[in-house]
Amino acid sequence: MAEAMKIRAKMDGDAADVKVLMSHPMETGQRKNEKGDLVPVHFIQSVIATHNGKTVLDAQWSQAVARNPFLGFRVKGAKAGDKITVNWTDTVGDKGSIETVVAA
Amino acid sequence: MVRASRNSTNLECAHAKRSMSAITFTARLVIATQAALCCTTIFSPAFSAQSATAGTAAPLELKRPASVRPWQRYKVDSQGSSWPQTRWSNFSNLANAGVSPPAHAAPAFNLPVEGDAERGRTLAYDRARGGSCVVCHVMGKTTPAQPGNVGPDLSTVGATRDDQSLFNYVYDPRIYNANSIMPPWGAYGVYRLDEVRDIVAFLKTLKEPYAIADKTENPNTRPAPVESRDNLDPTENPAMFGLDSGREVFMRKGANGKSCASCHAAPETAFKTWAARMPRYEPRLQRVLGVEEFITRHGRATTADEMLMQSNDNIAMSIYLHNLANGAAISPELSGAGARAALANGQSLMKRKVGQLNMACVDCHTRERHANKWVRGQYLVESKGTTAHFPTWRTSRGDIWDIRKRFQWCNVSVRADELPPDAKQYGDIELALAALNKGEKINSPGIRH
Amino acid sequence: MHQIRRRLLKAIGGVIPLAAAAGAGLLRAGNALATTWNKTGFEAKAAADALKSLGVTGAQPSKDIMLTTPDIAENGAQVPVTVTSKLPNTQSISIIVEKNPFPLSSTYDFSSGADGYVSTKLKLGQTSNVIAVVKADGKFFTATKEVKVTIGGCGG
Repeated sequence: MAEAMKIRAKMDGDAADVKVLMSHPMETGQRKNEKGDLVPVHFIQSVIATHNGKTVLDAQWSQAVARNPFLGFRVKGAKAGDKITVNWTDTVGDKGSIETVVAA
Repeated sequence: MVRASRNSTNLECAHAKRSMSAITFTARLVIATQAALCCTTIFSPAFSAQSATAGTAAPLELKRPASVRPWQRYKVDSQGSSWPQTRWSNFSNLANAGVSPPAHAAPAFNLPVEGDAERGRTLAYDRARGGSCVVCHVMGKTTPAQPGNVGPDLSTVGATRDDQSLFNYVYDPRIYNANSIMPPWGAYGVYRLDEVRDIVAFLKTLKEPYAIADKTENPNTRPAPVESRDNLDPTENPAMFGLDSGREVFMRKGANGKSCASCHAAPETAFKTWAARMPRYEPRLQRVLGVEEFITRHGRATTADEMLMQSNDNIAMSIYLHNLANGAAISPELSGAGARAALANGQSLMKRKVGQLNMACVDCHTRERHANKWVRGQYLVESKGTTAHFPTWRTSRGDIWDIRKRFQWCNVSVRADELPPDAKQYGDIELALAALNKGEKINSPGIRH
Repeated sequence: MHQIRRRLLKAIGGVIPLAAAAGAGLLRAGNALATTWNKTGFEAKAAADALKSLGVTGAQPSKDIMLTTPDIAENGAQVPVTVTSKLPNTQSISIIVEKNPFPLSSTYDFSSGADGYVSTKLKLGQTSNVIAVVKADGKFFTATKEVKVTIGGCGG
């Protein structure tokens, strides 16, 4: 199941400054639950950002990215009103997606 | 701008319309008629000010506990950091005074004190036992990373103190200083007598001054942490997910078909200062009620929802209600006899030494004592200026904590049994903190280490 | 209570499917473009092996890479790390945390106008060097910075 995300994109000089927060446990496979059992590894592996449909950033992650991952990137040549999307896929095949419009 | 939140706004509108129409044909609580007179807002400041009067006060369920019973300490929090499970019932806590043994002389020991200095050093640096002497002291050239400075630099203690005073000090510092913040390591059984001897043997080897050149390692030059994160930036603070959640809980129908919005149709105006005026003394309970306990009790009495303190729904609602009061100055009602007594008790509880480590709130969190110093790499903040951001996202714990959970964690950290979140004593302390922080602007949800 | 996050997520469940549905079409496109996850690199236990998996040989330190981290992280659970590359034609950035059990944390490939800039938050098991590896014009460059992880006094 996809989980919640937050996104902000606004112009900063000649680039759009984009910030994303993804709600995800990013389990390392090392931590124990209340019963003392190991929680299975479960983390976002791939994050892809597009600008008006074209891929601008293709990220690969390990479990070392913090819980509730934050990602900031910049898209040169973007304009206010352009569309930015961010999609992620995790180790169990869950996916998440969010879309926003670049603010001036 | 953001698809997800736009949809959630639509959701709210739908709920709000339904709730408002529900009010028109439902004869419900006595207050509903009054509420209708003031645009369905029962929590206008005017109303709240007279809430102590029976009949006009907000409906509250008054009989049942507002948190889980029997209360059980957390085992693991969401990031997998554990809570210690030891019970410390043979020491005082905030509910029971006078349990901890008083200061007493160390049992007879031979002079000079002989022990294994190497083993003593291991004990002194071991985080698992006492938490390590380095939490508060620099200890010569073998000092491990990030020593603290709550206590004096001990690098030359072996040259300046005799065996007897070293032994007594480690055994029970109150022999010399009744109000010491240092735990009675021997007297309270953190270390056995042979271990105290080993630690003293190590202290006797410390004779050379030790200047820590690295500015960030030296606790006297290490820069104090500055909180500069934008806690209301939803891409910065995961507790902002809780704000969305709280808004939805507010609009959600409870077990009896009513939602919070059924009576509070305009929460943005109705709750503009409400959370800033909490906690408050509640005569019907004869104790102080904080936002979170109010949510539980008022929810039971109105929507028939069971939002136990520190449950997901309760924390989400607390975030929402605090957030609505952002910018409002903390201004607790302190004038009534009940409030004054609670305030005095809260202030007194903050001075009570509790737990196996024998520490009081004021020991670590007032500038008169040891606030603004370092315990290992952690900075002790003053109680003033540290309440307006609750509930808060704790980066180290991966969890949103209300202020009562913060109290519980502090208790457990000094090895005192914590109380249930709805304990009267926590209410009194919360009121004392609100009085101390009067005028500070609510800024919630927060984000802290 | 360790499940607070979980339950919070459940509580906002009403929002989630909408966002997911909105992105469903885009997801397919995204997946088609995604590079294969660098299993060898992410499972490497030594920084040198992680570098090898990225094809890095003879990487030079570069002043055109700005690696921004706190000198002292308040804890190791989420350490902000930002990398800005002023190197012309920056193609990718990888971030290695030397002392983590699996040092390679993440790799960012840029295309179609993305700036050579990335900001993230990483887990650091302990005080460690953080190394930014930048590929620009087919060559590799690095920037290194030590991040101290705060040792707690009373546990939190």
